[in-house]
Amino acid sequence: MCTAVALALSELPDELVLAHDLGVRIHTRGGEKEVRFYWRAAPALLPVWWNGGLKVVKWGNWDRAERKLPPTGWTWQTTVEAGRWSAMEPEPVEILATYGLSNGVWFRVQQGMRGLLVRTRGGEPVVYMICEPSTRYFRVMTRAEWMPVLIGEVI
Amino acid sequence: MTAFVAHLDADCFYVSAERVRHPDLIDKAVGVLGNNGACVIAKSYEMKARGVKTGTPIWDAKALCPEGVYVKRDFYWYEVLSRKMLGIVGTFSPKVEYYSIDEFFFRAERLHPRQNLHQTATAIRDHILEAAGLPVTIGVARTRTLAKLFSDTGKPFGAVAVLERDHERELLATLPVTEISGIAGRRAARLAPYGIRSCLDLADADGRLVNRLLTKTGYEIWLELNGTPVTPIRPERPPHKALGRGGSLMGNVDQPVVLWAWAVRHVERLIEELNYHNVRTTALAVEVGWKTGGSTCGVVSIPTPTDRFDDLLDAARVALRRAFVPYATATHLHVLATELRRGKGFQLSLFDTPDPKKDAAAQAKAAVNARHGRFKVRSGVTLYLPAVYADPANNFDICDVRGKICF
Repeated sequence: MCTAVALALSELPDELVLAHDLGVRIHTRGGEKEVRFYWRAAPALLPVWWNGGLKVVKWGNWDRAERKLPPTGWTWQTTVEAGRWSAMEPEPVEILATYGLSNGVWFRVQQGMRGLLVRTRGGEPVVYMICEPSTRYFRVMTRAEWMPVLIGEVI
Repeated sequence: MTAFVAHLDADCFYVSAERVRHPDLIDKAVGVLGNNGACVIAKSYEMKARGVKTGTPIWDAKALCPEGVYVKRDFYWYEVLSRKMLGIVGTFSPKVEYYSIDEFFFRAERLHPRQNLHQTATAIRDHILEAAGLPVTIGVARTRTLAKLFSDTGKPFGAVAVLERDHERELLATLPVTEISGIAGRRAARLAPYGIRSCLDLADADGRLVNRLLTKTGYEIWLELNGTPVTPIRPERPPHKALGRGGSLMGNVDQPVVLWAWAVRHVERLIEELNYHNVRTTALAVEVGWKTGGSTCGVVSIPTPTDRFDDLLDAARVALRRAFVPYATATHLHVLATELRRGKGFQLSLFDTPDPKKDAAAQAKAAVNARHGRFKVRSGVTLYLPAVYADPANNFDICDVRGKICF
């Protein structure tokens, strides 16, 4: 399971960094600053491309703040395809990431990951990472049984 | 006038190639993972500094270097850059040998009469970085062995020209004998009782002693260490004496049908090679590596030289049966064409007649795959390997990079 994504700080507008207090999530890797979005962080957030712009939205419902949403941050592609989310009027979004973290292994992401955006009763957007069974390569690499649905690439 | 040989070695080539298309990886600890995703096959200097070595399992690597980024290998891309680099070197030298995907030998010639060979090597190195984005190290010396040894001392991003014997001896004294390609632990152990530990010790040893201890290969290394060129620069790869395809089975295989599927996959890959080199084979060997250690091999002679799928399939079936160990778990399998004949002008046996239908079927298969992608048409037996064919990256391996001398 992918439990964090990292996005280069240069990709994020300053106003988003300030608005979501992302300064505490800035890390340096190889001299370059990046913002890490961990599932375990409070609040859990993810950067998504939505409605023609980069937004930072809540990742899943781990704090169970919304009773009608599943208390997790991931959903399976088969569930989405089966229409189990349709009652919530979900929107497909692209989760932006330079790197993903799965079982302690950082892997490079070329374009991004698929996400599903729904709204709480209060209208707040919440994104779920769409997952599929790991390819053999990804499973050996990370020992994870599930991997995010990557856009335009196979790991 | 002494002719000098240059050795070019790309610095952590696979990582550098990834950095060409993903500049965000520059200055970061990067590990490129092998065919199975289990081991690091190339690492950046940043990752190397954390103790990660080539061959380190990813589970050890991530503990040593938790901030490291791990990338799946892409030999298609590495070949593209390798050939680009080869083309660039070809503009500087009339004679270039494509030794391996990231190493070339070439005749070192001054670019300008007033320039020395060190300046030339520096200029070529800088031009490759500018034109291809790849950092390389170039060593220039009297022989291939010396050039290769000295380029290693210049890494990373170095340019070394060692043209005088005194300078050679000074550097050779600092290098352990195991730095020489072809002298590893066992051969080094044979040399140690005679006090031969450094490259200079070997160069100064009696040639007859070296010949006795290390046979002809070792003697040739000794000659090269002393400045006598033995192996010329080979712009063309010499014809193959045997062709093979195979490797890891991506895990443990204990079902005979899966083992057979792997054999058929490698037969299909082997046929592509036979066709490319315009050769046929009169012998097929299947070698299976077992989890308990050791390997077994089955060999089948084929009466008429062939590159046809049905003939080689029949031979592979018999060869695999000979190599098969019931209830054992296999981990590796190789299919080898060991006796190659030219593709045309061979003698048919009395009972073999040309079969235009099967030839046409083979041609149609090759044409479809050439147009729509490798393995688009393949044997149904390989359906037992869905994970292998689901990943397009498995369609191209390092051995599929043609024309290089070394693996």
